[in-house]
Parts: sequence; structure tokens; C-alpha cells
Amino acid sequence: MIWLSILAASPSPTPAPTVPGAGIFSSSLLLSLTVWVPVAMAIAIATIPNPRGRYDALMKQIAFFTNLGIMFVLGIAYNQFQSFLPTLQYEEKVPWLQSIGATYHLGVDGPGMTMLILSGLIGIVSVLASLGIRERVRSYFCLLLLAQATVNGAIVARDMFVLILFWGAAAIPIALLVLGWGGPRRRPAAWRLLGYWSLGTAALVVGTMVLYAAAGGGSFDMDVLLKATVSSRVQLAVGLLMIVAAATRLPLFPLHGWARDAYSEAPIGVTVIVAGSASRLGAYLLLRTLVAAEPAAAHLLAPLLAALAAVTVGYGALLALRALDLRQAAAYLALIPGGVTVLALAALQPLSIAGAVLSLFAGGLAAALIVGVCGTLSDRAQSSSLRVLSGLAPRMPILTWLMIIAGLAILGVPLLATFTANLLTFFGSFKTQPIGAFAVAAGLALAAVAFATLWRRVLFSAPNPDAPGVSDASLGESWYLGLLAGGLLWVGLFPGGPKLPGTDSPLFDQGLVNVMAAGISDIASPYVLPTAGP
Amino acid sequence: MKDLVLLPEALVAATAVILLLAGRLSWFSPGGRRSLPTVVALVMLVALGIELWAGATLGTYFGGGLVQDRFALFAKAAVLLAAAIAFAVVDWTAEDSLTIGLAMPLLATFGVMVAASAGDLVGLWAGLELAAAAGVVMVALRRPDLGLRLLVTGGVASAMLLTGLAFLYASAGTSSLGTMRAVLFSGAPTIAFAIPVFLVISGLAVRAALAPFQLATIPASVGASPLGAGLVLGLVAAAAAIVAIKLVAALTPIPSVYSTYLEVIAAVAMVVGGAAALAAQSPRAKLAYLAAGQIGWVAAGLVTHYRSGLGASLFLLGAFAVAATCGPAVMGRAEGGEQALAGMGVLRPARAAGLSLAMLSLAGAPPLAGFFGEFAVAASLAQSGHFGLLALGILGSALSLAAVAGTLRVMYIQSPPDEARRSTRLPVVSALSSFGAVAFCVVIAVYGLLSSPILGLADQGAEALGLR
Repeated sequence: MIWLSILAASPSPTPAPTVPGAGIFSSSLLLSLTVWVPVAMAIAIATIPNPRGRYDALMKQIAFFTNLGIMFVLGIAYNQFQSFLPTLQYEEKVPWLQSIGATYHLGVDGPGMTMLILSGLIGIVSVLASLGIRERVRSYFCLLLLAQATVNGAIVARDMFVLILFWGAAAIPIALLVLGWGGPRRRPAAWRLLGYWSLGTAALVVGTMVLYAAAGGGSFDMDVLLKATVSSRVQLAVGLLMIVAAATRLPLFPLHGWARDAYSEAPIGVTVIVAGSASRLGAYLLLRTLVAAEPAAAHLLAPLLAALAAVTVGYGALLALRALDLRQAAAYLALIPGGVTVLALAALQPLSIAGAVLSLFAGGLAAALIVGVCGTLSDRAQSSSLRVLSGLAPRMPILTWLMIIAGLAILGVPLLATFTANLLTFFGSFKTQPIGAFAVAAGLALAAVAFATLWRRVLFSAPNPDAPGVSDASLGESWYLGLLAGGLLWVGLFPGGPKLPGTDSPLFDQGLVNVMAAGISDIASPYVLPTAGP
Repeated sequence: MKDLVLLPEALVAATAVILLLAGRLSWFSPGGRRSLPTVVALVMLVALGIELWAGATLGTYFGGGLVQDRFALFAKAAVLLAAAIAFAVVDWTAEDSLTIGLAMPLLATFGVMVAASAGDLVGLWAGLELAAAAGVVMVALRRPDLGLRLLVTGGVASAMLLTGLAFLYASAGTSSLGTMRAVLFSGAPTIAFAIPVFLVISGLAVRAALAPFQLATIPASVGASPLGAGLVLGLVAAAAAIVAIKLVAALTPIPSVYSTYLEVIAAVAMVVGGAAALAAQSPRAKLAYLAAGQIGWVAAGLVTHYRSGLGASLFLLGAFAVAATCGPAVMGRAEGGEQALAGMGVLRPARAAGLSLAMLSLAGAPPLAGFFGEFAVAASLAQSGHFGLLALGILGSALSLAAVAGTLRVMYIQSPPDEARRSTRLPVVSALSSFGAVAFCVVIAVYGLLSSPILGLADQGAEALGLR
């Protein structure tokens, strides 16, 4: 049983077997490359002369190969990642605003590396999903690369100043992408997204400043700030502010107001990047600033987090059940993985924290897949109204399969990465948050009903003779949706990575659960129950 | 080297006088007139170079009336850079008079430089009034009615300022800022200080166009030529902020006489500035309110009455001076609402990028100059426990950001209209203006990346004012 091996997975005190290819690439600027190369390419795209759109195709190629190059570098970084080391890796530290104690400090541990791989994958998928863009190609891909850079920056930031910089900057390109290339209701969608995300940024800044002041005002470095001894009151205030910041981004009920419109109105490439990686930053922030740093506040706020998770999952499933628009239904269903991740964080158990990190990855892929596949299906069927769409399975076999995989991924069925994540989450959370865990499980059951209803109505009912003509996914669309589904299947089937037959040596992937485990023991250490003596 | 310290001031003032005389006596041929902006921009760059080279030399002049220290160096360098870029980037076909359009910003720059190196109350007042008078002239060139309104409001501000400074002199027994600070260490925060300080801060708030004191400044900046608007919004406000920083530094021994009032003014300016920018339809008005909001942040840094806070305010003021002075110049004519900018991203990419960066920087959006300055102020507010003010400032910045998003959409996402139907034509492109726009973008983008040495210099500037 694969998942049993995962349950037993913990950072090994001995070095893991060397992966073929390890050590061939080393750069002290590796993380900076993932942040600044997209920025440089965005500037290049913005400055290339493009009379009458003559070089539109070139700009798409630049965006694609930039993301492919970053994924290549990340792939090497992932393979070279020392999964037995609990410390930061690929660290970069340069003094920046010395008088206020801000440093350009980047680094990744296991959860950070997991998020980076997710972001790299989503970056490629978002460009592939955007190849059909015809209007203002230059601006679109410039903004898309900037969005990608800000997400990567927020993931690798190890200084709260740098985190705020990228966290806040992410809202601008994404809101402009929705505003410029979205559907008929793009304007309210963009404003809501900008409003909620700005609220989240404000909460993050205030929370950081409270912590900064309480810690003596010497440094914004996470190694100093998040390890400072502060009173429970300060921890509680910071924790609440971080929950607000995370809830606006993930999103969690009741700060989810931007999600429906943004997911249903944004172009598919943007929806994928928002649902897949940008929104996961919310849970990542909670992991870093609450669970890992403020154990007292985390204990106090865990029931609140569990309640938010349960309400988000239940609310998402219920509204998906009642939705009359396919893309809106997908938007509600995309809230569910975030709820599961937050439940895992609320449980404050080593097992559930591992589940939360895996859920960041798997949930990101699942959310991106559901919004991507429903968006593509709506485009191909020339309608997103559930009154119009029916009986599409025979005419859209590829999209039918992908939609089923997306639903199963959200629900967390075996063989998919979300299954492993959900399993770890529930094993951990039923111990400490039984009511929240039960409510989330009930929400997932409701989501299953919502999916069954959606599949029956859209895919397997009698075809609608009055519906416009439909066509199945193109090769490009199959590729990007297939990449998401493939990622879910790969990690679901080989969470520990494929091994050379008959040996314990990894073939070419040391396994996501091994990589993510680095650092989790450190994060989970305050929550390990003392074992009884002999 | 000490003799060269005042050379930048001399260059700026002499150039302004020559331009005024030449304009009046028609000295320049048409060809000479065409190259004037380039020459003046080069003069400003030369002055900036001399300032950076020789300005590190400390010294006092005119019996302590002018003081060259790190504060003066930072402020003068920032304002010279802002003026040089503004001269380069502005569309001169949109200006009312070439020679006056060049001379008045030079005089305003000279005024800011005098205020920055003033050692006493007289120098502060004189520098600020010179900058403000140049602003009135620029506005009156196009709109005499608005010029008159600005003159009257400015007169009231000047009266409050002068009365307040006179009472301060009477209460402290000296007009020298250094001596006043030393005297106040042994003094007490009495009503004799509180009333004049109230008058001075009110006068400065009007001069800096802080909401809700923007009675005439913002309408005037909307009606003025692009360079006139930049002068009023950027240089005059920067002069007022410099005066405020120097006065607050002198009054830090008795912070209770100003901190509450300053806190209220800063809070109102930050929030109302952001909200008004969101409500504004005209891009020039939006820029003006964004500038008012950011000057509120500068005022917030002064509330802390610590070196870190004043240093952060000075650091932000540098970013503000460049963005607020050059922003209207980059925008060009923009009468007729935001539609005047439709499609600018395609038709004038360098200018559109410059305007976007100016607005985003004034809104405090990461990772631009304004964000770094506002963050530094926010850190000092947190250190001093002003969390309420910090939260209001963040709210104001969020509102400002939302305001900027609308303009960005018009510039980059809205298709350009038929040029025949455009109410206001877009700025004329020239080699100098394109170079200026690119230079402006680089300065706004690089200010943050190079913030370590710049903030270090600003911190030294605050230290030079006697703060610890």
C-alpha cells in the first residue's frame, strides 16, 4: 500500500541515495533565477517592437520557453534537493534595507520546494492555456510572466519584507489580466479580486508590523521574526491577521467574494494560475507564519481554522450543487481543496501538517484542473449555461475523461495525489479536530453529490438538440489539462518516486513526499505529543 | 571643495534669471529655442553631479543661514534629479511659454534647495515661498483665475506659517534651528509652543496640498500646464515637507506640541487622498490625490519623532519628489477624463510606462520607489507603536492602488480611439522626451533596488538634524 509507506515517511537521519544527475548543476542564484528571469523576459516582451502584431507568436514562444526553462532548472533543483536536511536550501542572503532590518533573503525547505514545483508546472500550463489569446498578446504575456514571478517570489521569500513585496505585487498583474481579457463581467471580477487581495495584503503588513514591533524592531528576517519570543496576546493578534490574509487569498469563507467571478470570468490561463498556485499562497502563509511560528496562537485559533475549513468546503459544495453555470460551479468546487488544506493545518499534528503540504500541491493541481477543464468545455460548447449543456460525453470524450478526473481529484479518490493528502489530513485531524474533520468529510460527500449531478447533467444526459455545435479539446488544450491530470496521477501513483527495479534507488524522481518531508519535522516539532516513558 | 558646495544653487538660480531675461528680450533664435530644454536638463544634471561630488563636504554659510549636511545633500540631489527628468520628459508643445516654463521650475528647485540647507527659520520660509510663488506663476500662465485662487490660498497659508514661525522665534528666543533644539531640551511643552506649531503645521499642510487642505492646489494643478502641475504637486509639496521635517527635528525635545495634530493630519491625508483618487475621474486629479496621500505618509513618519522615522520620511520624500514632479509631465495634456489616455500603452509606450510607474509608486505599489519608502515609514510607525496610523495608511494605499488600476486599464487594455475623435491629443514624441521617459522609469524602478545606500543616506540626513 503506497499510503502506508507515506504514513511512515519521515526525514531520514541518513542521507538518501544519490539521484542520477545530482550535483551537475549548482547555482547560488537558483531561486533568484526563478523570480527574476520571468521579470526580465516580461520586460523583453514589453520592449520588443511588434508592428501590427507581427511577433505575437514570438512573444508566446518567449513566455513558454521561459516557463519551460524555469521548470527545467526547478527539476534539477528538485532532484538535487537534500531531503534529509531540515534546514533551508539554495539560500541567498544579501543585506537590503539595513536601517529597518530588511534583507533579500531567499531559501526553500521541503514545503517551499513543493510549492515551487507546483508553481513551475502551473506556469507552463497557464502559458499553454493562453496560446489562443489573440488580442494585445504583448501585454497579456508580459503580465502573465510578472504574475508568475510574484508567485515564485512569495514562495521563496525568507524575509517578511520580501514576502510582502511579492505577495502585494501579485494582485496587480492578475487583476489587470482579468480586467483586460476576462468575460462580460470582468470589471466587477477584477475589482473584487483586487479589493480582497489588497485587504489580505493590508492584514499581512499590519500583522508583520505587530510582530516586528513586538520582536524589538530589529529585523524582518523570518529566522529572527518568526522565532522571536512574543506574548500570547501578540501571537493571537498576529495569528488573526494572518488568517485574514490567508483567507482572502486561498480563499476561505467569508472572504471568498472574489473567487466566483474571477474563476468564471478570467481567461483560462489566468484562472489556472490563480487557482493552481497564486491562491495556494494563502495556506502556505498560514503554514509559515502561524503553524510554524506561533504555536500558542495556533492552538488557540485551531478551532476557528477548522470551522472556516468546514464552512468553506460545505459552502463550496452546496453552491456548486445549486449553480446554473458550469464555470461558476467549477469556481465553487475549486474552493474545496483549500478547505481541506486548512483543516490539515488546524489539526496541528505532524501527520496532518505533512498532509497540508501535500494538499498544497495536490489541491493546487486539482483546483487548476477543475477550473481549466470546465472553462475549456464551456469554450468548446460555446456556452457555460447548465440549461444548455447536456449529453456532451459522446462528442467530447477527452474533456469528459478530464472532467471526471478533475472531480475525482477534488474528492480525493485513490491513485490521485489528493487521496494521499486527504488521507494524511483526516488521519491527523480526527484526533484533534474531530468535529471539523467530520464536517469537512460531510462537505466532501456533498461535493460528491454535486459532481455526480454535474456529470449526469453535462456529460451523460440526453443531448440538447438546441445547443450550439460542440467540439472536443484541441491538442494544445489536451496537453495542458493532461499535464495537470498527469501530475495528480504521478504523485498519486509514485509519492515516494519510482525506484529502480529490485533496489531502493530512485529512478529519476526522489519522490515528492521525500522532498516535502524536509522541514516538516521542524515545523511540527511544537506539536509532537510527549511519548510516555518506559 | 567647500567653495563648490553652493555652486549647484548658483547654477540653478543663474540659469533661471538668464532664461527670464532672454525670454523677455528675445535673445534666442528658433533653433536655439528648440535646444533649450536639452541644455537646461543638462545644466540640472551638471548641478546634480556637482552636488553629489562636492555636497558631501560639511559646512555652514552666511553666518549659519545655510548649512550643508547630509540632509541637504539628499534633499537637493532628489529635487535636482526630479527637475532634470521633468525638463527632459515634458511635451513642450503643451506648455504655455518655453522660457517661463523652464525658469519657474528652476526657481522652485532653487527654493527647495534653500529650504533644504536652511539653518534658520528665515531660510525655511524664504525657500518655501519662492517655490510656491513659482507655482503661482506657472498656474496663472494658463489659468489666471486658478492662479489667483492659488495665490489667495497660498497667502493664507503663508500668513499662518509666518505668524507661527514668528511666535516660535519669540518663544524659543532664537531663529536658528540648531540653537532652538538645544534650548527646547531644557524647556517644556507649553501653550506658547503649541499654538505656533499648530499654525505652522496648518500652513504647511495647505502648501503641501494635504487633504483636506487641498482647497486650491489640486484644482490649480488640474488646470495648469503639465510642468506647472508637476511644479505645484511635486516641488512645492516637497519644499513644504522639507520644512516640516526640519522643524519637527528641531521640536523633537517637545513632541507633544505637534505629534497629535500631525497624526490626525497624516491619517486624514492618507485615507482621504486614497479615497479621493478612487473617486476622481480626471487622471491629473487622480495623480494629485495620489500625491496628497503619499505626502500623508511622509507626515506619518514625522509623528514617530525618531531618527528612523524622519529618515524614512526623507527617503520617501525622495521617491515622492521624482514621481509627483515628473508624473504630470509624463502624462501631458489629459483634459477630458481618463479617455484622453486610452490606448496610450500602444501609441506612447515609454510615456505610458512612465505614467504607470509614477502612479503606482505614488500609490505605494510594490516593488517601486514609493513602496520602499512607505514600508520604511510603516516599520518606524510599528517601532513607535502607532498601529492605528499604520492601519489607516495601509487602507489609504489600498484605495490608491484600486484607483490606479482603473487608469492602467484605460492606458493598456482599452483600444485606442480614432485620433480624430480624441478630445486631447497624446504628447508629442521627441528623442529627448523618450529618453526622459525611459530615464524616469529606470529611476522609479531602481530606487527600490538601490534602496540600501539611498535609505542609508536618508538616515544620515536625519542624523544630521541631530536625531538619534
